Order: sequence, then structure tokens, then C-alpha cells
Amino acid sequence: MEVLERLLNVTLVIATIRTTAPILLVALGGSFTTKAGIFNIGLEGQMLVGAFFAVIGTIASGSPWIGVLCGVAAALTLALIFALLVVTFKANEVVVGLALNILAGGMTVSLMKAIFGTRGSIFGHGLVGLPPLKLPNVKDLGWFGQMISGYTPLVYLAFILVPVLILFYNRARLGLYIRVVGEKPEAAEALGISITRIRYTASLLCGLLAGLAGAHLSLGYTTMFTENMSSGRGFMAVAILIFSNGDPLKILLGCLLFGFSDALSLRLQTLGISSYLVLAVPYLVALIALFALSYRSRPRVIQETLASMGRALSVKSNTIKPRTATDASKP
Amino acid sequence: MSFAIELKSITKRFGSFVANEDVNLAVERGKIHAIIGENGAGKTTLMNVLFGLLQPDEGEIWIDGEKKVLPNPAAAIAAGIGMVHQHFKLVPSLTVAENVFLGMEIRKGGLIDHAAQIRKTAELSKQFGLQVDPTERVGLLSVGIEQRIEILKVLARGARTIILDEPTAVLTPQESRELFQTLRGFVAQGMTVIFISHHLEEVMEVSDTVSVLRHGKNVASRPTAELSKSDLVQLMVGRLVSFDRLPRGPIAGKTVLEVEDLWCRDERQLQALKGVSFQVRAGEIVGIAGVAGNGQTELAEVLSGLRPSSHGRIKLAGRDITGRSAREIRAAGVGHVPGDRLVRGVDRNASIALNLLMGRQDQSPWSRHGIIDRTYLQQQTKALIERFDIRARSPESTAKSLSGGNIQKVVLAREFTGGADCLLIDQPTRGVDIGAQESIHAEIMRQRAAGKAILVISVQLDELIALADRILVMFGGTIMGEIAGDRVDEEEIGMLMAGVVPDPHSQTVDTV
Repeated sequence: MEVLERLLNVTLVIATIRTTAPILLVALGGSFTTKAGIFNIGLEGQMLVGAFFAVIGTIASGSPWIGVLCGVAAALTLALIFALLVVTFKANEVVVGLALNILAGGMTVSLMKAIFGTRGSIFGHGLVGLPPLKLPNVKDLGWFGQMISGYTPLVYLAFILVPVLILFYNRARLGLYIRVVGEKPEAAEALGISITRIRYTASLLCGLLAGLAGAHLSLGYTTMFTENMSSGRGFMAVAILIFSNGDPLKILLGCLLFGFSDALSLRLQTLGISSYLVLAVPYLVALIALFALSYRSRPRVIQETLASMGRALSVKSNTIKPRTATDASKP
Repeated sequence: MSFAIELKSITKRFGSFVANEDVNLAVERGKIHAIIGENGAGKTTLMNVLFGLLQPDEGEIWIDGEKKVLPNPAAAIAAGIGMVHQHFKLVPSLTVAENVFLGMEIRKGGLIDHAAQIRKTAELSKQFGLQVDPTERVGLLSVGIEQRIEILKVLARGARTIILDEPTAVLTPQESRELFQTLRGFVAQGMTVIFISHHLEEVMEVSDTVSVLRHGKNVASRPTAELSKSDLVQLMVGRLVSFDRLPRGPIAGKTVLEVEDLWCRDERQLQALKGVSFQVRAGEIVGIAGVAGNGQTELAEVLSGLRPSSHGRIKLAGRDITGRSAREIRAAGVGHVPGDRLVRGVDRNASIALNLLMGRQDQSPWSRHGIIDRTYLQQQTKALIERFDIRARSPESTAKSLSGGNIQKVVLAREFTGGADCLLIDQPTRGVDIGAQESIHAEIMRQRAAGKAILVISVQLDELIALADRILVMFGGTIMGEIAGDRVDEEEIGMLMAGVVPDPHSQTVDTV
């Protein structure tokens, strides 16, 4: 019981919100491409270059906000290349996405080496993070106030974007067109909606949010850049997108689950459990959740297996007693 | 007299192929004008020209007495022309109202005003007698209602002339009748309807004027009342064609195919077959009627081993073949002409010769010691091309270079010469022109005379009437009833197709 109390309290909620934000931002970005019918596996890479160039921009200019802009610009460039190859040249989405991820990983490492002469991580060099936002009058709210105040701005943005995107998909024309292009491109075409333009827009919107997610990682979540610091969050986002079908609310739930297990694993570390084991917890939880969800929503594989097993059994029963069949057909 | 639409000397070429040649067409305002012709006669091309989807190489388009150039569909819509395509373009996850107003959303303060869209859709639906629930999701609706939504889409865009491309192909007879009533309502309100079809009876029933296209030319435009059905056929084909019941001898043999309480599921894991039982005897043609999507295709797939059944038994000449693979079933003597010939009937990129070989490439005399006998294959291909009247440049032409009817003949030639005792024929003449239909029907009758047990699945009733000894009507995965081929009452079949069991004057109706 004592262990549980040490694990579950307001600080855990705060930690959950903190760890949820980056993956939520990138997954919401991916919802644009998912809804537009593009399987975008390149989220990881866009996030990584976002994080890297946010740091470069901040060091160069001294302002974390200019850093954020640089990160977003870098992610947008990657998103544009993705759209160019996938939408215009009709290249395979998975291959292009993977290639851009590898490019992002390699590019950040070699640029780090070239600019700073080091490998591993960048910190110092006058790097400043985004300032945390203290909400006014939250002191009166007690623990709740403590829970909702003091995050960096991009955390708030991530959570505000959920209802905004729900509204966007239901009430905005662009949101509707993105859905139509993803679901029934021929209907869009027949109505004179340009599929190419919509898919480019969706890809760039995705790049925008992935860039913000990256900038948040290096300037909000931490104040440093480390090699491969997106550490699979982009891929986790892809997994969440697959089961959520790009719906903002389901994305939020998926991301919260991931964020919670991430926060919990940090907590468990303090209890002296092997850190390698503990670091695997969020991924394990996410995998189990995904399996559980797809087991429920897509039972086809299981059903087919059962059906074929049943068939094998029924065939056997046919061969065992063929006499009854002939008896029946003899009136 | 004022014309809603006038096409003057329209010519449209695709390379060296002339799709429309010097077509003149005048459509009176406030009339239903039918355009009929065989497949490939140029009906759809002509309508695409009128709707701005294609540009004519020569000729003029006049709308309401004014000469117009229609560079794209938007221009045609602006000129008051609307088109309901053969294949619906609706978005399943959106509501009826959202679909109707897609591309011209009503917005308030930058956001889509769902309430206004729903209200306007309801108004249109009421004004034109097209009953729909504006708030329902389209994915849940039937084809007939989907068509209404497509028509509403056209109306919402202010169309005064509506083009319908083969609108009844997907409807039950009852739904078709409702559609005709709606169309009459349109013309009563001063609108003009252009109606493309190759169903003669419908054309006779609903249209005021008929234009017949043959080989891209307009061979006649006359008031419907002046024409008989056989006149129309003659105009369409250029000669006489009979669609009457084909003459036949008595049924010879014993039961070949026996299906007992067959169940299966479709891709969405819904029950597609629910306890189907029937028998087919040697020398008998059993027809399966029904609106597409009521389990017919699944039935053919289960019988041919392409889809697992979940329950029930299939016996071929007394031998249980349930759950066998497609290969084993073929070897046991079942020939299958699939409903979608381009997907399962032929390899589009392979030659006619290879398509005729497929499935028996490992059998003597087609191959010996694992090597295909090219000489024999060439001989056989030549013989089959001649026997089945396959029109192709050479035996090495690819399947995709052939017309739909000729591809079908390739499939038939392969399946009918494989020595199968039982033939499953799914949609024998879908998308095949009347001339080829006749020869395909004749070939099926020859197979019957040769003592084959034949199951014909078709959505065209007249085809089943021409061919079948018995017609089983499927609805929702069950057999709603059985009707003798020589005592067909279209009304009764129509009811069964719609899932209604008519009065028990037909004794064989059984319900599940």
C-alpha cells in the first residue's frame, strides 16, 4: 500500500501530462495524414529534425521561440519531401517514410559532429529552454491548480489541439475534405476537390505538429538534444494512429496511456528496479494495449483461425459418419 | 419548339477509334429522353461530352437555345446539367446531408452549418419526393437510397436537366419503379431527364422519346409510343435478336450438385449465406436470381472452394467436397466462370493461349513431364477461338486488349472444355453486348444438352428466363423461393428479390 501511495499521487499525474505532450503533438500531426489516407511512418524523423534544429536555432539566436520556428521549418522541409515523393511521384509511403527517418537520424548525428565536434548530446552553449507558463490564480485551486499550471507552452498547445481538431474534422471545410480524400478519393475528384492539394496540405500540417513535438522534446521536455532523442515516440504515434484511425479523442486516450506508463516507469526507477527493465514498461504497455484493442476491433484473424479450425473439425465429422448423410438423402 | 439540350454533329475520337460520329441529338424540355444502345455504342461517351468530362473533336453543344462550350463538369453544372453516374461517389462515413452538400458546404462563421444542410436536404427531399433521412450515415444505406442521394446532390446544385447513366442496373424492380415515378415527377415540374439504359422494357415504360446509338452513330430518335420492343432491338443490334425462353429438351439425369444447409461469412464477417440448400441435376440449368449483394457471389465462391463455408455440406455426384481447395474442387469436376472476370477469370496481362491453358497446365495432353506442349496449346487455342467466336487479333493478344464480351468467351472456352460435369456461371453476360450474349446463351444451352449440371447466377432476370429450368431467388443470404423457368411471373420474382414472400399461390416457397 505504501508503495502504491508513493507511486500514485499528483506528481504522477503531472509527470503523465509532461510525458504525454510530445507524443500527443506528433500523433495529432499524424492524424492529418492518416485521415487523408497516407500512412505516414516518417513521423519519427520529422520529430527528430524538429528537436535538433530547435536546439541549433536557439543556440544561434538566443531565443527558444526562434528555435521552435527553426525546428518547425526543418520538419516542414522533411514533410514537403515526403509529400513530393509520395503524393506527386506516387512512391511507396513506407519506403519513403523509413528512408526519411534514417536520413533524419544520420543527418542530426553528423551535423552534431560537424558543428559541435561531439557525439551524444548537446547542452550548454547558451541553450535555453521554453519558459514554463504559470497560470494566474491557480493557487486557489489547491492540488488541481498545481496539476494544471507550470508546464511549458507546447504542453498546453498539445492538449488544446485535441478539441480544436475534433471541431476541425467535423465543422471545417478543410477537415471535411481531408476526411473525404482519405476515405473516398474518387468522390473528392468528382466534386472537383484536388486530392493532390489536400494531401500536400495534410502532410505539411503533419510536419508542423511533428516539428513542434520535436521542439518540445529538446526545449520543453528537456533542455538538450541527444542522439535519437525521439526514441521511438514517432513510431508509437504511428501505432496509436492505426488503432485510433486518426480520431483526436482516441489519439488522446492512446497517448495518455503511453504517457502514464512512461511516467510510471520513471517512478519505478526510483524504487530501485533495474532501469533497463523499467524503460521497457511504456512500450510493453502500449504493445499490450494495442493488441488488446485490435483483438476487440479487428477479430478477423482470430475468427478466421477459429473458423478454419471448426471447418477442419466438421470435415472430420463428415468422414467419420458418412452413413447418416446417405440415409438422410434416401427418403 | 424549345430544346433543353441540342447536340449538333458531335464527333469524338479516341486515337483511331471513333466513339461518337456526327451525332445529332435534340432533347425536348420537360420530357424523359432515353438513350439506348449496346455496350460500346457510345452512350456514355456522348453523355460525358455533354457533361464536360470529355471535349468533342467536332460539333456544338446548345443548352436552352444557347451555344455553350463546356470545358469541365463545373461549367456543365453551372449550365444546369447534372449527372448521376453509374458508380456512386458517396462517402460512407458522412451523413446524407453532408454528402449532398459536399463541395458546396453551407457555412456560417467559417464553420460548416450542419443544421442548415440537414434542413435544406429535407426540403429538397420533400419537394422532389425522394425520401431520405438527412442525418443518417450513408454507409448504412441501401443502394436504392444511395442513388436517391446522388440525385439529391444533382438537384442541390440546381440542375434542370438530369442525366442518369444506367440507373436501374443496381435496383430491384420495385426500386426501379419508384425511380420512374420520381423521374415523372421531375418532368412534371418542368425538368428534363436523359436516361441511359440497355433495358428495353424500362425504356418503353418510362421514356417519352428514344434515341438509339449504334457504333457511335445516332440511328434513330423517335417518340417511344411509335416503337415496339422488337423495333428497338433491331435498331440497336441492326438485326433481330430473341430474348425469349430458349427451346430445350427434357432434363435427363440424376442429381450432380447437392448443397445442404450452407452458411458462410463475407469479408466483413457478416453472414452472407444463411442455410442455403438446393440440388442441380445433370442436364439442368438452375438460375439464381437476386439483387447483387444478396449472397450470390459468396455462394459461387463457396461452391468453387474460394471461400470457406462455416457450416453445411456440398456434394458432387454423391462425393463430399465441402472444405476442399479450389484445385481439388476443379479436379473433382466443377467449372467456375467467376462474376468478376478481370479479377478471377483471366490474367489480364497473359495471352489468350495462356489464359485458356490455366488450371490444366499440369495435365496431359496440355503438358508432358512438366513441360507445356506448345504445339498442342496452339492448336487448341486456335480451335477454341474459332468455336467460341473470340474476336482477337491473334492467340497471343493479351486478355486486356479484348472487349468484355470476348474476355468472357475466353473464360467460358476454358471452363466449358475442362471436362467438368458441373458448371458454376456467375453473371454469364455482365457487360457483354447483345450479339455476344446470344452466342454465350447458345453455348450454355449446348452444355445443358451435353448433360452438364449448370448453375447460372445472374442479376438480369430476362437472362434467367431465357436459360433456366428453375429459378431460385436469393435475398439476404437465403433462398426466398423457387419458380419454374417456364412459369415466371416477374412481379413475384421482384417481390422475392426484395425479400417479400408473395401469396402462397406458388407452392414451393419456403422460408427459413
